[in-house]
Amino acid sequence: MIRRAVVLALVLAMGAIFATLLAGYAPDGDLNLTARYYADRTAPDIGSANIVTAIIVTYRGLDTLGEVTVLFLSATIVGLVLAGGRRRETAQRPPVPVGELLTTGSRFLVPLIMLLGVYVFVNGHLTPGGGFQGGAVVASGVLLMLLADPLKHFSHRLIAAVESVAGFAYVVIGVLGLVLAGGFLDNRILPLGELGALASAGAIPLIYSLVGLKVGAEFSSMLASLSETEEL
Amino acid sequence: MVSAIFILAAALAAAFLLGLLKDEQRGVAYAITLLALAFMTWISADWTWAFAMDGAASVDIFTAGTEPPFAINLRVGLAEAVLTLIISLTALLSALAMKDALLALGRRAMAVLLVATLAFCGIVLTRDIFNLFVFFELAAISTGGLILLSDDERALAAGFKYLIVSQVISILLLIGIIFAYHATGTLNIDGMADAAQSILPGSRQAFMLAFFLMFMALVAELKPFPANGWALDIYESAHPAYSAIFSAAGGAAALYAVDKLLLVGGTAWLPAATGIGVVTFVGANLLALPQTNDRRLLGYSSVAQIGLILTVLGQRDVLGDLTGFVALGLLLAHSVAKAGLYWLSSLVAGRELSAWAALRGHPLMIFAFATFLCLLVGLPPFPGFYAKWELARVLAAEGRIALLALILFGALIEATYLFRWFGYTIKRDKPAEDIACASGNVIAICVAAVTGWVLGYLWGDAANVMLGRGNLLLALPLLFALAFLLLEWLPAWTKNMLAIAGLVGYFALTWGDYDPLRLIFFVIFLIGGAVILLASFHAHGRRVGFYPAAMLMYAGMTMLIEATDTFGFFAAWEILTVGSYFLILRGKHSEPHALSYLVFSLGGAFLILAGFALAASGAPLGVSPRLTFALSELAQVAQPLAPWVFLLLAIGFMTKTAAIGLHIWLPGAHAEAETDVSPMVSGILLKAGLFGLFILLMSMGKQQLYGIELTYVMLWIGAITALLGNLMAIFQEDAKRLLAYSSIGQMGYALFGLALMNHLGWLMALMFVINHYIYKSMLFLSVGGVAKRTGTRAMYQMGGLIALMPLSFIAVLIGIIAMSGVPPLSGFGGRWIFYNAILESEYRLPMVVIFLSGPIAFLYLFRLIHTIFLGQLKDEHRKLKEAPFWIVLPQMIYVVLLLAFAVVPGIALRRVDEYMNQFFPTGGLNWSGLNISSPYGYWDPIAIMIIVGCIFMTLFLWLLFVNRKAQKVKQFNIVFAAERPYRPETTHFAWNFFAPYRKALGFLVQPFVTQFWGAITDTLHTGADIARRFYTGNGQTYAIHLLGFVVAVYLFARGI
Amino acid sequence: MIAQIAMATGFALILIGLYGALTNHNLLRMIVAFTIADTGVNIVIVAVGYMAGRTAPILDAAVPAAEAAQRIIDPVPQALVLTAIVIGLGITALMLAYAYKLYQKKRTLDIGKLTELKW
Repeated sequence: MIRRAVVLALVLAMGAIFATLLAGYAPDGDLNLTARYYADRTAPDIGSANIVTAIIVTYRGLDTLGEVTVLFLSATIVGLVLAGGRRRETAQRPPVPVGELLTTGSRFLVPLIMLLGVYVFVNGHLTPGGGFQGGAVVASGVLLMLLADPLKHFSHRLIAAVESVAGFAYVVIGVLGLVLAGGFLDNRILPLGELGALASAGAIPLIYSLVGLKVGAEFSSMLASLSETEEL
Repeated sequence: MVSAIFILAAALAAAFLLGLLKDEQRGVAYAITLLALAFMTWISADWTWAFAMDGAASVDIFTAGTEPPFAINLRVGLAEAVLTLIISLTALLSALAMKDALLALGRRAMAVLLVATLAFCGIVLTRDIFNLFVFFELAAISTGGLILLSDDERALAAGFKYLIVSQVISILLLIGIIFAYHATGTLNIDGMADAAQSILPGSRQAFMLAFFLMFMALVAELKPFPANGWALDIYESAHPAYSAIFSAAGGAAALYAVDKLLLVGGTAWLPAATGIGVVTFVGANLLALPQTNDRRLLGYSSVAQIGLILTVLGQRDVLGDLTGFVALGLLLAHSVAKAGLYWLSSLVAGRELSAWAALRGHPLMIFAFATFLCLLVGLPPFPGFYAKWELARVLAAEGRIALLALILFGALIEATYLFRWFGYTIKRDKPAEDIACASGNVIAICVAAVTGWVLGYLWGDAANVMLGRGNLLLALPLLFALAFLLLEWLPAWTKNMLAIAGLVGYFALTWGDYDPLRLIFFVIFLIGGAVILLASFHAHGRRVGFYPAAMLMYAGMTMLIEATDTFGFFAAWEILTVGSYFLILRGKHSEPHALSYLVFSLGGAFLILAGFALAASGAPLGVSPRLTFALSELAQVAQPLAPWVFLLLAIGFMTKTAAIGLHIWLPGAHAEAETDVSPMVSGILLKAGLFGLFILLMSMGKQQLYGIELTYVMLWIGAITALLGNLMAIFQEDAKRLLAYSSIGQMGYALFGLALMNHLGWLMALMFVINHYIYKSMLFLSVGGVAKRTGTRAMYQMGGLIALMPLSFIAVLIGIIAMSGVPPLSGFGGRWIFYNAILESEYRLPMVVIFLSGPIAFLYLFRLIHTIFLGQLKDEHRKLKEAPFWIVLPQMIYVVLLLAFAVVPGIALRRVDEYMNQFFPTGGLNWSGLNISSPYGYWDPIAIMIIVGCIFMTLFLWLLFVNRKAQKVKQFNIVFAAERPYRPETTHFAWNFFAPYRKALGFLVQPFVTQFWGAITDTLHTGADIARRFYTGNGQTYAIHLLGFVVAVYLFARGI
Repeated sequence: MIAQIAMATGFALILIGLYGALTNHNLLRMIVAFTIADTGVNIVIVAVGYMAGRTAPILDAAVPAAEAAQRIIDPVPQALVLTAIVIGLGITALMLAYAYKLYQKKRTLDIGKLTELKW
């Protein structure tokens, strides 16, 4: 009880801090210096129609590399944590039958979902979306497969290989930017092309595809690890 | 030069590549990991070299081919290069140290280790606030993963607690970042700092709040006290090699992040950093006191050290250009030492502090352990020492005395628990299980120890170049002492010869440089030391550890004499303190006594440090704060600072001379030391304190505080010390303790003489310096020799040894005659000068006290001869032989010396007497031939010697004549017939010999002082023991602590 | 005004999440509470970048490159929020794995019972 009261008091105090922030907030009328630069320079410099993508993949590419690494790390550690608890092959009780609807539906939907995922990350520089979103869509396809067949065995090695190759290629492209263009993760190692075309924005589609593959692989690996845990 | 971005790229590429390997190819994966870490280390080392040696300017690394603030940029300067070096090197060595765990968990764990290293490096390199957040999250998540390396099951819960706190931290940080972005329009840290200058008043408050949230989030990563329970749990349960990374690399990275963020906040936030830092430093050190688990203790110490460095960062406004020197010095010392200690801890099987006794028998590991402790405590010649000195100097100059006091208090507590641990290691029973000497671990530890010394050299060099202080590691005496570390494989007698040759040789080379006063101390320190070392020839084997410690002490004393400025003096003071601590600790039962010696000595040293710092701040000459401050300039310290400086220095020096109230360390430390160590620490080391007092009084003279004459107070302290020291001595049963208490009394006399502040008083103090050296060394040696033969130090268990150990008997006889101040020996000369001095001064009451203590000294001295050498020989002692030759030899030298000094005291005193004319022109003695005269009479040593000799011979011959037919009493004197008493010694005549006096005067020797200090330590311990229950172990509570901490700082900051 | 409402909602979610995370003893509930708080943070981030009357920062026929500076909202928070979401997800996954492992070892999900390490 005392604990609740203390927590409540602290949360209210935080609320007071937040309230001050809220009260002092006034939306900008014009873009600030940084945002204005992006608005003006993205098209000529980066060649990406989606400015957010330009920021994510190029201007703040290091963040994104870090972000990919966060996912990689989480997937790896989830694998590590759950490694001890995996007793899959040995005498498991038969799974609950999943039903005709799910099985058939998944056979139909999974390829479409995968396709959508690929579409989303390949077009990341043109439309809302990108590697993370696309990767998540791909992984949702994997989730559907797992739901339809809980005993389905995913090759961890395959997932790991996709993940590794994509990640390594990402770093290599970053270093190529350093060697061939203006700096680490510079996308101008490939021609910028015409604004709005699929093959434009230099290395961005390539990077986003790699990110998509990698994120898809990582989510899938996490899902697979979690699904293979012993039921408690 | 390879771009620093490859530090990050290499780690990532390697981490991703590991995924391509088969799970079974763990050896390959491990090799790739090591290679990547080595590559990262090499890049950082390369940059460090470029900045440090070639003075290159810092380099900005742009990403995305766009300039900041529009794209993320990284920066490498000297600080960044050094920090990435320490991070990647720690990771590399830790990878070696936890080879087994990494191989057991496989490539995934290695990938996580690589990412953790990268994340810490990224935190250091990036100049973008959101990028900083990303790297922090990477660090947090990888910490969550690497905790699994531990074979301690509790680590899992610790990891979860950490993740909870990370969540709270990231919420604070993100909200802070987005509002700071809104207020400044940029995410670049430097851009934000620029924009913060020109924020409109309307959005100022929002920006300040946003900054507050970011600041608190990053500060929370520093594990501030008391919102740090989660970190302690990690330190305790993680794999020690990971704890090394977490402490060394993680701490360094988070501190640098806070440092960068403080750029944005500006000077307004420095007090907050200082406050949080110093509370953490003191609080964590206090709570570390009752810890018994080694890794948790190290955790507390880590937290404390980081707090100290945060304090330093918060003092940037006054430290100015020195901030880097001080902060980096402390940080590197902490990182190297903490990493080394964690690696050491993985060698030790038990988690109790005393389980570290397993290290005994591995001299290299003990050496590394001692190195790490000295690094942490900031003893010379390590970087922390230089940092401590500059910090104290600047803080005092700026009048931030309270902060300085808090820092020194915290440092003293830290030294206490660290060296207590060292004492356990050296003295406690060795556990059954030996240490696990994995090669990777040993390599890591050795690299850390060597790095510690290299850092010491580098910081000394920097101090020399920037501030004009000498590099301590270039000081010849210190190098000579350290050389013995490399000679440990030689047999003891070879080392002993080298040591004696070194002392005598150095004396011969340099003695011409000193004025007579310093020369007397110099002779006692070096030549006196060499004579006592003769006794060390009796030791067999290699005697590992003795010579480095002893020579360190002598080096310190030599440097003390050589010092001309306060820095050199203080450095020497600490060196001799450490050396003598290691030396005292060698005694069989000296563990608690060595500790109390060290604590008192360091406490005294800190007072001296504060005194010197304060003196430099108030000097009228030159610019304040002064860089160097000559000892002689102490005379120019102006009012109202002067009396305070005097007070601090006097108390500091009086801890070393064991003035009453500060004396409780002495009896144990001197009595429990080894046979040849007791005379060193009693005969020689005590004089260092007197030397300090001489220097102090010579330059500062009489000082008044609130109308009280401080020298008058000292006079009283001296008198009471003499009286009580002697009184306590008479009730001792232990011969060496008796001598130790007697030293307290003797130092009281010397203090009294000094405080008289007249010519003869000082002369008498000097006389005591010489006399006390000779007879106390001699007595400790002969009593030590007896104790060695009889196997006991209790006097009532001895008796009748006169025939078996005649030479020891002669030494003791001469010694007590000299000491009690009766004619004809030099003690009488001392007394004679003394009484002349008293007659000259106007203080009557303390005089009475000091007169009283004279006869008391006689009482205990009498016991030495009477109980040990006379009376009945004990049955079990019938076959005893004289003490070993090498222990007797120096005693005989002393006998000759005493006789010589008694006959011609002028050889030493005459020149000093003249020298003192510059301080006290009047009141000197007249030296005509061998005759010495004062206004009150004259003293002819030769005549006295002849007269006393005649009387003695007459009586002796008469006694022989009268007793020629005397029969010896046979020894069947059974005092108890039918019953064996419960405590046999109670029936011995010599036991509780002075019981009647005890009845009368016992109240004076009640251990009030011991009780007083005991009560203080108990209060601290119990207080800390109760306070630490605050860390309930519940992860949720820890998160509440963190939130409460944020709110408390917020309210506090608003209040200001 | 929309920005303020969204922001207030976001803050409220953070506070609710924090309260939940600090009062529920069950590990899973704590994790859920933290995801609520994370969502709140993300809403606040997006709300800060909102500008009335403007459109998404994608250049197409409706928003030609030349007019972009007058037509689009601040793209930076949009980019940041993506990173924040992904990182939050990573930590949540990790916490779930930890909770699973803890349950497996200790057979409890009560945070108050995971206190062997203390003092």
